[in-house]
Order: sequence, then C-alpha cells, then structure tokens
Amino acid sequence: MACMKAHATCPWVLAIAAGLFVQFLAPSAFAHQYWLAPSRYQVGVGQVAEIGAVAGTGFRGERKPWSPLLCVRFVARTSRMLDLTRAASPGDLAWARFAPSDAGGAMLGYESTFTPIELSAAKFDAYLKEEGLLAALAARTRGGASRPGRERYRRCAKAWLAGNDPSRATIPLGLPLEIVPEAVPGSGADLRLKVLWMGKPVVRALVKAWRSPIGATNAPADPEARDSTAVVWTGTTDAGGEVAVPVTRPGEWLVSVVHMEPCRDPAEADWESTWASITFERPADRSAASR
Amino acid sequence: MRPRTGLAVRAGAAAVMSILSCLASTPARAHDVSFSYADLHWKKSEIELRVTVHRDDAATVLGIAAPESLMDAAFLAGKCDALSHGLLPGLRLQGDGAAIALRLERAAVKPERRSVSLVYAASLARPVAHLRLDARLFPANPQHQTFVNVYAGERLVRQDVLTATRSATEVYAGGATGLLAVLRTFVGAGIHHIFTGPDHILFIVGLLLLGGGLGRVLRVATAFTVAHSITLAIAALGLVHVSGRIVEPLIALSIVYVGFENLRRRGAEADWRMRVAFAFGLVHGFGFASVLQEFRLPREALAASLLGFNLGVEVGQAWIVLSVMPVLGALRRWAPRLAPAAVAACSWGIILAGGWWFFQRVLTRA
Repeated sequence: MACMKAHATCPWVLAIAAGLFVQFLAPSAFAHQYWLAPSRYQVGVGQVAEIGAVAGTGFRGERKPWSPLLCVRFVARTSRMLDLTRAASPGDLAWARFAPSDAGGAMLGYESTFTPIELSAAKFDAYLKEEGLLAALAARTRGGASRPGRERYRRCAKAWLAGNDPSRATIPLGLPLEIVPEAVPGSGADLRLKVLWMGKPVVRALVKAWRSPIGATNAPADPEARDSTAVVWTGTTDAGGEVAVPVTRPGEWLVSVVHMEPCRDPAEADWESTWASITFERPADRSAASR
Repeated sequence: MRPRTGLAVRAGAAAVMSILSCLASTPARAHDVSFSYADLHWKKSEIELRVTVHRDDAATVLGIAAPESLMDAAFLAGKCDALSHGLLPGLRLQGDGAAIALRLERAAVKPERRSVSLVYAASLARPVAHLRLDARLFPANPQHQTFVNVYAGERLVRQDVLTATRSATEVYAGGATGLLAVLRTFVGAGIHHIFTGPDHILFIVGLLLLGGGLGRVLRVATAFTVAHSITLAIAALGLVHVSGRIVEPLIALSIVYVGFENLRRRGAEADWRMRVAFAFGLVHGFGFASVLQEFRLPREALAASLLGFNLGVEVGQAWIVLSVMPVLGALRRWAPRLAPAAVAACSWGIILAGGWWFFQRVLTRA
C-alpha cells in the first residue's frame, strides 16, 4: 500500500523537480532570437514564397503576426527597393507573398519599433552575459546596485532569397544594426560578413549561428514544429567589424548579433538593445545558392 | 487498482505538462508584445464576436501554470466561463451609444495559433447604425495589441489594431442610417474642433477686424473655406502628408501675419484678406486633417466623414462670423472714433497670441 502511494505521488514530485531542472537549464528566457522565415529560400521566377517572422530560441519558435504599429520598415532589395508593408495585413502570420521577377535574388529586411521590457536584475545580467554585452554588464556592475534591467529592444532581421546578383546581398539596407554578407550567403563554405551599427563596423561583437536541416521538399522545416537546436558556432568581430561564419553544412542558417547602448530616452528605459539577424539557405548543391 | 492507475496516469500527464510548461515559459513575456484577435460579424439583428487570445495570455488570466493544457478542448470547455469572466471587463461593445450585452456561446481551440477562441453573440432589438468596440483585454500588459476585423455580412469593412493608448474602434453601417450617424459624429467633431481651437478662431477674427460689407466678408470666408477644404481632403485621403511640426507653427505665424497686416493696411482697401485667407487656409486645412486623423476616418464612409467634418468646421466658422460682425458693426456705428483704436488693440492681442503659440509650438515640438 505504501508502495502504491509512493508510485502515485512520485510523478508529481518528479514533475516539479523536472520542471525546475528544465527551468534552470533553459537559456535566458529573454534571449529570444527573431528572424525572417520565408517558406522557401530557393524561389524561381514565377514561384511564390511566403514571408513571416519567428521569435524563439534554438532556431525554433513561434510565428509572429504582422503589426503595422511595430514596423519601421519592411523592404526587399531586388533590382529595385520594394516596400513590402503595403502587402501586409494586420494580424496575418504571412507578412508578404513574394514572387521574384528575375533570378538575381532578394534581400528582405525588417526593422521594428522599440518595445520596453523590464527584467529582474539577475535575469538581465544573465542575458547580458549570454549575449556578450559585456560593456553594459560592466557599467551595471560599476553602478553597484542590483537594479532591475529596464530595457527597450527592437529587431532588425534580414533574409536572403537565393539569386545570382551579389550586390543585392552585399549592399547594406541601412538598418540600425545590420549583418551584411560580403558574398552571396550560402555560396561558400565560409560566409564572411560585417556587422554595422548605424553604418559603422562593430568591433568585438558576439556573433552566433544556428543551423536547421532542410528536407527533401527544399522547404525549411516548420519553425514551430521543428526540434530546437544548439548554437553551432560563435565568433567575435575583428577590428573591421568582420567575422567569417563557417557555413559547413547544407541547411537553413540563422546568424544573429545583439548591440546594446544606454537608452536615449531615460524616462522609458535605461538600456536599448538592437537584435540583428540574417537567415539564408546553404543548399546541398552549392551552385543553387547563387543561381 | 484502477483508480490508483488513473491517478498515476494523471500525475504522469501533469509531469509532462509541467516540463512542457517550463520549456515554453517565457518570463520576459510579462511585458513583451502579445497579440489577440477580435473578429466581429455584424448582421442586421445579431452580432457575433470571436475573441482569440494566445494560450499563454489565457493561462495568465486563469492562473494556470500549463498553457498547453488549454489546447485540450475538454479542459478548455471547463475553463471558458472563468476565462470569459477574466476577459469581459476589458471588452465593451456599444451600438448607437448603448451597451450591447455579450453572451458567451462557445469556446474553441486554435492549435495552429496556439490560441483559444471565445465566441460571443448578441441580439439587437433594432438595427444599429454605429458600433464601437473597446478592447483592452490585458491591461497589465501595456504592449498588448488586438487585431480587429469587422465584417458586415461577408464583407470585411474595417481592420484596426487596438492598443493600450488607443483601445477603441468605431464602424458605421451602410445606407441612410449609417450616413446620418457618420454626419452626426463628424459635423459635431468639426464644430468642436473650431470652438476648442482658439488659433482658428483668432485667425478668422483677425480677418474680420477690418470689417467691410457682407459680400466682402463672404468672399474672405469662402476663400478660407475653399482652401482648407482642398488640403483637408488631400491630407485626409493620405495623398499628401505635412508634419505637424511644420503645420502648427505655420498656423501660429498666419495669425501673427494677419495681425500685422491689419495694423499696416488699416486705411487701404481690404481685398488682400481674400488672398491671405486662401493662402493660409491651405495651411489650416492640414491642421484640420491632423485632428481628423486622430478620429481615424471610417474607410467604409470616407467621403461622408470628410464632408461632415468640413461642414462642422463651416458651421463653427459661420457662428464666429455671425457673432463678431454685428459687434464690430455696432462699434463702428456707435463709437466711430474708438473703433480704429479697438481694431489696433485687438490686432496687437492677436499678434501676441500668435507669437506665443509660434514659440510654444516650435519649442515643444523640437
């Protein structure tokens, strides 16, 4: 009888223990990446790709609805610059349906407005550490007091739809924080890229990369249903704000970097962070990246 | 044995739920942007309102630790009254100004959106011409946004995004009753704006100070009306946008200018006023448009709302003209020696007021 009772009780105890275990193991809850998620990266002329955005961790997350109130710009660089905000409908998970008119490729870019957030001192410091925002961490430490982290954040996400015009990939879109490839993403085993803050190189920025396999259908796995994945590579930008990401395996890639500064509007927050990302595919057949 | 086994199974399920809950938990969401949807289907005698909220937000309202459990239809069915009880204080529907009672019909799981929907219905005793939906579903989260879609029959007539700072949307019915409701609202708004905007009043008064016959005054007023109607329309339709940072100081300057012209050209023929009224009327029109934009013009009744607002402005303007002209006329008739000094004093007052507004607007909008 005692044994039966123990069996009945154990799962509850286990549940709490497992929950706590996972909670402590989980990466900082704030460290949510944000990326543009096309339904496919290889889009031929006459084909259509649905573009959405995802927030989550481990290259797995939840699709975010389009909100005009959160958007500063949503553009595509093709043979000309296209404003995609006109196509978007409030609340839709598919932000745009993009049909390329040539084989040159397209660089999509999205910039959000700021969103304020407040985290406990411990969580905020842990997140600064995790994202390599050491200057902000040092400033907080110098301040002494373990105050909550009052922050406002924004997103600057890009996605490369494969094509053969390198200039569309390598010319900055002018986002506040931007990852700028120096070649067509996915076309080589290394992707050299530059991190720009207000158009200037960022030195010693922590850059992270994730990879998710692409199935036989040539479409990325559903970001809400796929397995989460660990960071496959981290690196730091050099004196020129550059870093080479080893894009060693085929699949969908996410590269991300965060920049933080004291907030320009102290009434709203103490810090302001900008999260930049770029997503692209390295196809199994490398020539497809620069079709 | 069976009950014990059942207990163990339930406990096991709870263990899984707890792990999933922790995996999915995002403490940062406390003030992160979250979204909900309000789809309103408006028919003649009834209204259906479908409110869809994310399971994490619903779980917060219900005080449950495992939002995933709400993806189970049976579990949700047991919780939908409590969820509705938590959401309804932030949800208000009015028809022609009177509250419309919403009754909960059913709940539904939307797993593809990780959300749950509550479907409300309301019966309308008589058709309404104007609906207003207030939605502030999660007041504790100032970042929350609610996407509103309003359908008249099968037709989508309004899309809006409601936030903590702008939590209501208004929509008008088609047909004559809807048109009347639009005119009532926007004529009132136009009149209200003229009488609560002393800068427009002073500009008009400034134009009238030099007096003149009825025909001349009418020409001045018409020039102002035509000009501001042009810019009000093109700005309200989104064809041209001029920042308030430019328009508002310019309106203040227009008042200063009229004051100086009154002093400078006292003895001259007063025909200059028509040109000034037209030129600055164009600027004032942009000012009216910025007010109108705060109302969010109903797309389903764009022309009527624009016309209504303009009519309201004209009514207000006519009221000012009809009030000021007899006073000025009486002054000229009964105290002809005093009249020029009074006009000069009023002109200086107008210059000072316009100058004050100019600096205030430049400094506060810098």
